[in-house]
Amino acid sequence: MESALYKRKNNMEKYIDDLPTFVDRIRKMREIIISNIVLLGQIPAPTFHEKRRAEYLVERFADFQVDECVIDGFGNPIGVIRGSAKNRKSIFVVAHLDSFSEVNDNLNYVVTDKTISGIAVADNSAAIGVLASLSEVFKQLGLSFKSDIVLVAPTQSLGRGNLKGIRQLLKNWQMPIRGAICLESVKLGRLNYYSDGMIRGEIHCSITSEISWGQHHPPNAILVINEVINEIMKLRLPQKPRTKIVIGKVRGGFNHGKDAYNAQIGFEIRSDTDKMVKVLYNDIQDIVYGINNAYAVELKLKRISNLNATSLAFGHPLVKCASKILHRINKEIVSEPSETALSIFLQRNIPAITLGVTHGENFHQEDSMIEIDPMFKGIAQIVALLMAIDNGVCDG
Amino acid sequence: MDKDWIQSNTFHHSEFKDIDQAVKAKRKKKLSISLCLPTLNEEKTIAKEIVIIKSELMTRYPLIDEIVVIDSGSSDQTRKIARAYGVKVYLANDILPHLDKFKGKGENLWKALYVTHGDIIVYIDADIKNIHHRFAYGLLGPLLFSENIRFTKAFYERPIVSSENKLRSTGGGRVTELVTRPLFSIFMPELTQFLQPLSGEYAGYREIFEKIPFNIGYGVETGMLIDIYEKWGLHAMAQVDLDRRVHKNQDTRALGLMAFAVIKTFIRRANQLKKFDNHKKTFDEMIQYTRVGEIFQPEVHFIEQHERPPIFELPEYRKKFSKGG
Repeated sequence: MESALYKRKNNMEKYIDDLPTFVDRIRKMREIIISNIVLLGQIPAPTFHEKRRAEYLVERFADFQVDECVIDGFGNPIGVIRGSAKNRKSIFVVAHLDSFSEVNDNLNYVVTDKTISGIAVADNSAAIGVLASLSEVFKQLGLSFKSDIVLVAPTQSLGRGNLKGIRQLLKNWQMPIRGAICLESVKLGRLNYYSDGMIRGEIHCSITSEISWGQHHPPNAILVINEVINEIMKLRLPQKPRTKIVIGKVRGGFNHGKDAYNAQIGFEIRSDTDKMVKVLYNDIQDIVYGINNAYAVELKLKRISNLNATSLAFGHPLVKCASKILHRINKEIVSEPSETALSIFLQRNIPAITLGVTHGENFHQEDSMIEIDPMFKGIAQIVALLMAIDNGVCDG
Repeated sequence: MDKDWIQSNTFHHSEFKDIDQAVKAKRKKKLSISLCLPTLNEEKTIAKEIVIIKSELMTRYPLIDEIVVIDSGSSDQTRKIARAYGVKVYLANDILPHLDKFKGKGENLWKALYVTHGDIIVYIDADIKNIHHRFAYGLLGPLLFSENIRFTKAFYERPIVSSENKLRSTGGGRVTELVTRPLFSIFMPELTQFLQPLSGEYAGYREIFEKIPFNIGYGVETGMLIDIYEKWGLHAMAQVDLDRRVHKNQDTRALGLMAFAVIKTFIRRANQLKKFDNHKKTFDEMIQYTRVGEIFQPEVHFIEQHERPPIFELPEYRKKFSKGG
């Protein structure tokens, strides 16, 4: 038993020692990696409209001689690099395919010697481009794996998508999964290994025009929604379990001098425990019901997505190994809860972490930007971690 | 008039998508290929063009042997950025420095012939926002797979970028439709079969480009098309559909200057070819008017109409390419 542990530790050191060489050799492939980011990222892929980007990603997998390339029944593009051992568990590398853009957006990225900028490059086109490049990276580094490496860009991850792509994929995946690395474009140094319990919801207030006819003081949807916000703000949130309500979206009204017929807010409840999330959601339900009656308007609450609180222990070998790798490439580790595919893997007891690929800014704006050079370290960390998982270093 | 040309010599880039086959054809014919990007303040697009062409057609498939940037003297970061991606970058004025100096796209294309080594030269404008390697392999396909075709020209569906990053599906090609096509229709109807005679992307064998003069400015495409047509005929030419090219829209006044240069080049060629007889003096200034208060103020633009001779006539060139100068 001791010797196995010793061997495992030695193996981990070996992969970590390879990191500087990896970074230099990956840097030599920069044109291929940047091309993949640009060619894939410039195809608009808002949630529920990812088909064109999915098809092109599978085409790129095939171009780079990935062994099996397919789009599954849920629209997820998948590339499988066959491992040398038969009947081994597979290792997943995942980067969500959809991004905050519109179907008709003109996504022409600007590349300079230091940066790539354009809509959604920082969430999540850079990670998608890296995913497409991984098979070529392995080839150039002369690496092969015993496990199957499954490259997946799940669809319908964001917002109302509620991670449907990865949920469906894992539900139907027949073979055992050894571990998963989820990729986000930014920020290099992030190490997510737990997710909060979460419910996202929307509250719509609408006032029919018939009600307002003949009334001197018809209700105003924005003011009603304002009442809702005030009531939510009065809710007492515990310090433990750590709990938060974010009101992140608001929309309403028609013009300056007209009472608003419509208004809505989008909110998110997050907590360490699923129970607290449910309690608060019920409280908001009560608020909506009460105000609905008081103002005689049409006020509706709708749940659009939810996640259960899940976690990998900090001492899990996968987390420890990823931490060591990040230390070795001189990156300060930032661990926060993550509402990504990570939580779906963890719910299924599959060890998983989320890593960032590079540095960037303005994640959800038109001038979203990533830095090119740190990306080579970001890719090296993925490769080293995959080697470690493949050799059993990260088995729990 | 050869009306069948448009059917037989019009291609779509997807016909040449198998780049491996293109590489084999290139090797079989023992050819080398150079790509030239003429630039003037293209810091926003130059890197993307270099990166994608280099990645897809040099690193992954050895179709293109060299990428050369010929810059007219950019005041932005164009040259620095291009160099960072490991391609050869020249200031046009540094090539054949003893010659008179001119500034213009045609000048850069002409000088590229001196510094590149390829048997085939691909010219691609450096301002393309949606660059894809199809722009190069599409133009190269007919040259590599046909025995007769020596020159290829691009055409597109040309959306332009309007405000708020949305695309409008028309708007390109106004000079073509209002100037070049009517002139071709009147004097050289066979050339009307080129759907976008002014497109900035073309490729051809060195032996073609070195034997024609190059207008240094906007007239370069018009002159080139007429000269190749006159010397080698339509059967040596082809056009390739490259789908969509997103570029910056130019306002009508800027297009007016372009139209002026195109017309001047056309008149010169038509005179040389005796297509019409107008040897009266014409002027080299385009005059546009701007209203300033109550006064209409003229803006006079001098549009240089210099033309470089066929580079084959240059002793330095003949010496460099061992053609007995």
